Amino acid sequence: MLAYYFQLGLRSLRRNPALTALMVMAIGFGVAASMITYSVFRAVSGNPIPGKSAQLFTPQIDSWGPQQNLKGEPAEALGYIDAMALMRAHEAKRQTLLYPVQLSVMPGGNRDLPLNANGYAVTADFFTMFEVPFRYGSGWGAQDDDTRASDVVISSELNQKLFAGANSVGRALNLGGHDYRVVGVASHWNPRPRFYDLFTTSGFADEPDIYMVFNRALDLQMRTGGRNSCRGSLAYTTWQGYLQSNCVWITPWVELDSPAEVASYRSFLTHYAADQRLAGRFDWAANVRLRDVMQWLDYEHVVPPESRISLAVALGFFLICLVNTIGLLLAKFMRRAGEIGVRRALGATRGEIYTQYLVEAATVGLAGGVLGLLLTATGVSGVGILFQPEIAKLAQLDFSLVGLTFVVAIVATVLAAFYPAWRAAHVQPAWQLKSS
Amino acid sequence: MNIQIRPILTALRRHKAGTLLIALQIALTLAIVCNALFIIHQRLTNLSVTSGVDEANVFVIANMWGDVGQSTAQVDAQVRADLLALRQLPAALDATPASGYPLRGGGWDNFVTMTPDQTKPTTDAAVYTGDEHFIGTLGLRLVAGRNFHPDEVMVMGTQQAITPSTAIVSKALADRLFPDGNALGKSFYAMGTTPSTIVGIVDPLHRQGVDQWSNGYAGQALIWPLRADDSRGIYYIVRAKPGQLADAMREAPKALYAQSRLRIIDPKDGIQDYATIRHKVYDRDRGLAILMGIISVVLLAITAAGIVGLTSFWVGQRRKQIGVRRALGARQRDILAYFLTENFLISATGVVLGAVLAIAFNLWTVTRFEMDRMSMAYVGAGVLVLLLLGQGATFAPALRASRVSPVEATRSV
Amino acid sequence: MLKMTHLSKVYRTEVVETYALRDFNIDVKEGEFVAVTGPSGSGKTTFLTIAGLLETFSGGEYHLDGIEVSNLNDNARSKIRNEKIGFIFQAFNLIPDLNVFDNIEVPLRYRGMKAAERKQRIMDSLERVGLASRAKHYPAELSGGQQQRVAIARALAGSPRLLLADEPTGNLDTQMARGVLELLEDIHREGATIVMVTHDPELAARAQRNVHIIDGQVVDLSEDPRFHAAHAAVADEAHG
Repeated sequence: MLAYYFQLGLRSLRRNPALTALMVMAIGFGVAASMITYSVFRAVSGNPIPGKSAQLFTPQIDSWGPQQNLKGEPAEALGYIDAMALMRAHEAKRQTLLYPVQLSVMPGGNRDLPLNANGYAVTADFFTMFEVPFRYGSGWGAQDDDTRASDVVISSELNQKLFAGANSVGRALNLGGHDYRVVGVASHWNPRPRFYDLFTTSGFADEPDIYMVFNRALDLQMRTGGRNSCRGSLAYTTWQGYLQSNCVWITPWVELDSPAEVASYRSFLTHYAADQRLAGRFDWAANVRLRDVMQWLDYEHVVPPESRISLAVALGFFLICLVNTIGLLLAKFMRRAGEIGVRRALGATRGEIYTQYLVEAATVGLAGGVLGLLLTATGVSGVGILFQPEIAKLAQLDFSLVGLTFVVAIVATVLAAFYPAWRAAHVQPAWQLKSS
Repeated sequence: MNIQIRPILTALRRHKAGTLLIALQIALTLAIVCNALFIIHQRLTNLSVTSGVDEANVFVIANMWGDVGQSTAQVDAQVRADLLALRQLPAALDATPASGYPLRGGGWDNFVTMTPDQTKPTTDAAVYTGDEHFIGTLGLRLVAGRNFHPDEVMVMGTQQAITPSTAIVSKALADRLFPDGNALGKSFYAMGTTPSTIVGIVDPLHRQGVDQWSNGYAGQALIWPLRADDSRGIYYIVRAKPGQLADAMREAPKALYAQSRLRIIDPKDGIQDYATIRHKVYDRDRGLAILMGIISVVLLAITAAGIVGLTSFWVGQRRKQIGVRRALGARQRDILAYFLTENFLISATGVVLGAVLAIAFNLWTVTRFEMDRMSMAYVGAGVLVLLLLGQGATFAPALRASRVSPVEATRSV
Repeated sequence: MLKMTHLSKVYRTEVVETYALRDFNIDVKEGEFVAVTGPSGSGKTTFLTIAGLLETFSGGEYHLDGIEVSNLNDNARSKIRNEKIGFIFQAFNLIPDLNVFDNIEVPLRYRGMKAAERKQRIMDSLERVGLASRAKHYPAELSGGQQQRVAIARALAGSPRLLLADEPTGNLDTQMARGVLELLEDIHREGATIVMVTHDPELAARAQRNVHIIDGQVVDLSEDPRFHAAHAAVADEAHG
C-alpha cells in the first residue's frame, strides 16, 4: 500500500511543479542552513577525549585574591610556585604540567635556514594521561623528568620534514642551539578542541610539532611561547624573579579515576590553599576549582558565540521554512478535497487518506533532503568564508552528516504535514466532486 | 475604490489555518531578519573601525630567531643592524621594532592605575613597544606633546619587566585617565612600581585585539619607548614609500637574510600587509555578516514565495465567488484591492507578533552572548520590509484574480 | 437488503432545526431495482448519502445487508462502503489525474486486493461496460457517456451487494443516457440490487418500483395508475 501512496504522491507532485519546487527548496535551504552551521557547531562543541573526559581534571588555585581574580574565579592557569607544589605533592595517580614552547630546528643536512617548531613542555605522564598515539618509540619515563633529560617527542609531520618519515627514535636534533634526542614520534594527534591548552589557544590550533621535558625547559629558562597573565606590579629582571612573580602560565592536569579520588584531591587543593594563607602567601580564604574536561571546555567558552548564533538563526530559518511548507501542503491537499471525498466514498478510511498524504509529504522531504545535501556539501566546502579558517576546516561532510540531513529533512517534512494531512483525512466522503 | 474590512475578516475566519500560517511565517521572518540585519550592521561597523595606522603602506614582519640562546646584548645588536638595513631599503620610508601591532588579534595589555598600591585597576590599555620611529612608521597622528627622544628608548631582555618613565598614549586612554583634558605631563602606573609620564598623545590608535571583552576599553593604548629584545623573536613594522608597498615587502626579507640567516620568517604568513591583517582579524565578523545576509535574502524569498503560493490557492478556490462579485458590478481594481487589503490585515497581525519575537530574540542574545541591545529602528525597518514584501507577493495572484471573468459565476464546475 | 425504519435526519444551526428526513421508512429487497423520485429539496439526496453511509443520521434505524449501521465507527463505515456499495454519481466523479484503469482500481486498492486479481476485475468490469480498449485513457479524453460507463465499471469492479445511483443520466444527452440506462438494466437483470435517485419520471418508470419522497417522507403512490402501468411493462419485459 505504501508503494501505491508513494506513486500517488509522485503523481500529485508532478501536477504542481511550481508548488512542489517551492516546498522542496524551502526544505532544502532550511535543512542545509541548519546542517552547515550544525557541522561547525558539532566540530567545536564535541568531546575531544570521549573515553577519559570525566577522569581528567585541571586544578585551579586563586593566587590573585578577590581584588584581582576573574570576578571571583581563580586564574585559568598556575604560576610556577603553585604548579611545582602540586607536582611535588603528587596527590593524583597521574599528573602533568605543561606550557607552550616556541623552538627552532637549527639548519642541518640540506637545510640552510632554521625551521619553526611549536610545541609543549610537558611531564612524562602527559602521553599516558592524554593517550597520545605513537608511530615510533614512546614518551619518556618519570625518571627522565627527574634527570631533566633532553628527550623530545616529535610529530609525524616534523618527522617527515626532518627524517623523511623514517623511524627517528634515538636520532639527535638541534633545537634553538641545544641538542636533544628523539624518543618517540607521535602519530597524528590533535584533539579538538585542544582541551589541555585553553589558556593560550582558543582550542583549534594546528597540531604541535614537538613535546619536550618540562624540567629541561625550565633549566633552559624558556619563557612560555603562549599566554602569560600577571597581577600587581611587575619588576622582575631575572628568570628567578619571573618564576617568583604573580604571573600564571602553566596548565596543570591530573587524572582521577573515582569520585572518592576527586573528592580527596579537591580537599587536598583546599588544604594547600589554606596552608598558603597560614604561611602568609595568600591573605584570602582558599578559592580552588577542579574541573573535568567538559566542564573546562564550557567554562572557557570554547564554542565561539558566532557558532551558537549561527546555529540558532539557522534553526529559526528552518522553522520558518517548515511553517511555509505547512501552508503550502495545506493548500495543496485541500485543493484536492474533491478527490479525497470520492476516495472516501469509495471506501478509503481516514487512516488511509492520512497515510497517503504523509507519504506524499515524505516524498517532498526526501527531495528536499537531496537538495539539502547538495547545498550542505557546497556550504561545508565554502564554509571558509563564513568562519575562521581554523574552525572552518573542522566542518566536514561525513557519513553521519549525510544521514542526519536526510533524516532531518524527511522527519521535519512529515511533522509539518501532520496538520494538513489531518485536515485532508477529515474531508467528508462526498457525493459530488465539489466545485467552488 | 471601496475597501471594506469586515467582509474580509469574515472570509478570513473561514481560512483560519492558512491565515495563521502566513501571519506566523511573517512574524518569524521579521524576528530573524531584524536580528540578522542588526548583527550584520554591528559586524560591518566593527570591520570599518579605523586603526590609526597608515594601512595602505605599512606591513609587518614576524621575525623569529633561530638561536634562542642569545644574550640580550647579542639580540639588541642584531635588531639594531636589522632596523638599519630595513630603513635603508629603497622602497621603505621607516621601520620600527615592536612587540605587537594594532589589529594583531590580541597581545600584550596592562592594567592601568593612578597610584602604585592601587589594587583595583582604573582601566586597561593595550601596550605597544617601539623606538622613536614607532609613531612615524605606523603613521600615527600626534595630537599633543612630542615623540620619544632616541635616548629615552630602553632595552628589555627576555626575562625582564621594565617600566619606562615616559609613554605616549592614545587619546582614548588619556581621556579615560584624565577626563578633564590636560593629560600631557601627568603620570600613571601600568603594573610597574615606577610611574610613566605622558609625553605625547596620538589619535586614534586601535588595540591589538578586537575581542568582545575589550570593547569597554576601545582605543585605549599606550606606547613605551622599549626595544623588546626577546630571544625568541621580534616584530618589525615597516612603512613603505607611497605606492611601493609590494617592492618593500619583497626587498625586506632579502635584506634581513643578508644580515643573518639564523632567523625564521614564515614563508606563508611571516610578512603581512595591513589588508591581510585586517582581513584576518575580522574573519568572524565578516563571516557572520555574510551568513546572516544569505539567510535573510533566502528567507525573504521563501516567505514571499509562500505568500504567492497560498494567495494563488485562495484565488483559485474563490474563482466562482470572484465571478459573482464581478457579475454584481465589482470593478477589477475592487478585486485587486480586496486581496491586497486581505494580505495587509494578515501581515499587520504578523508584524505585530514578529516585533515582539524580534525583541525577545535580541534580549536572549544580549543575556546569552553579551551582545548589544537592538535599536528599534531595525524593527521598524523590518516591519516596513515585510509589509511591502507581503503586498508585492500578493500583487501577482491578486491581479490574476481581478482578471477573472464574470462568466465564472455561471459555471458550475 | 436496505431497510430504514423511522429514520430521521436533522440539520441543526444556531437558530433553526431543519428536518431533511422525518419518520422515513423504506425497505429494498435483494435484487430489486428501485427508483427514488421527488421534487428538488424533498430529501432524495439526503436519503442517498445516508444510504451510502456517507453521512450519519439523527434517529431511527438503518439495516444494510442485515447490519445495523448506526453504531458503526468511521473505519467500519468505510469498509462497508468499500465492500458492499457501488456508487454511480451524476457528475461521474472520476479522478482526473488517474487514467481509466487507475480510477477503477481505487476501491480495489483500499480492499487490499492482490495486483493480479485487481487487474482481472478491472478488465472484466471494463469489458462489461464495453470500454476495454480505453483502459489507458484519461477521463478528459472520454465522452460523457463513456465517463459514466467507467464510473459504472468502477462501481461494479468490487462486486457490491448494492448499487446506489444519483441521477446517473443527469449530465448526459438523450442518446448517451439511453445507453447508460440499458447498461443499468442489464446489470439489474444479472441480479444486482439498484437504488436510483432521479427526478425524471420517465427514468423512474424503468425501475421495478418507485418510491416518492416529499418533504422528507415517503409518500405512497401505489394508487397512481401510471405507476402500475409502468411497473407491469417493466415486469413483462423482464419476464419476456
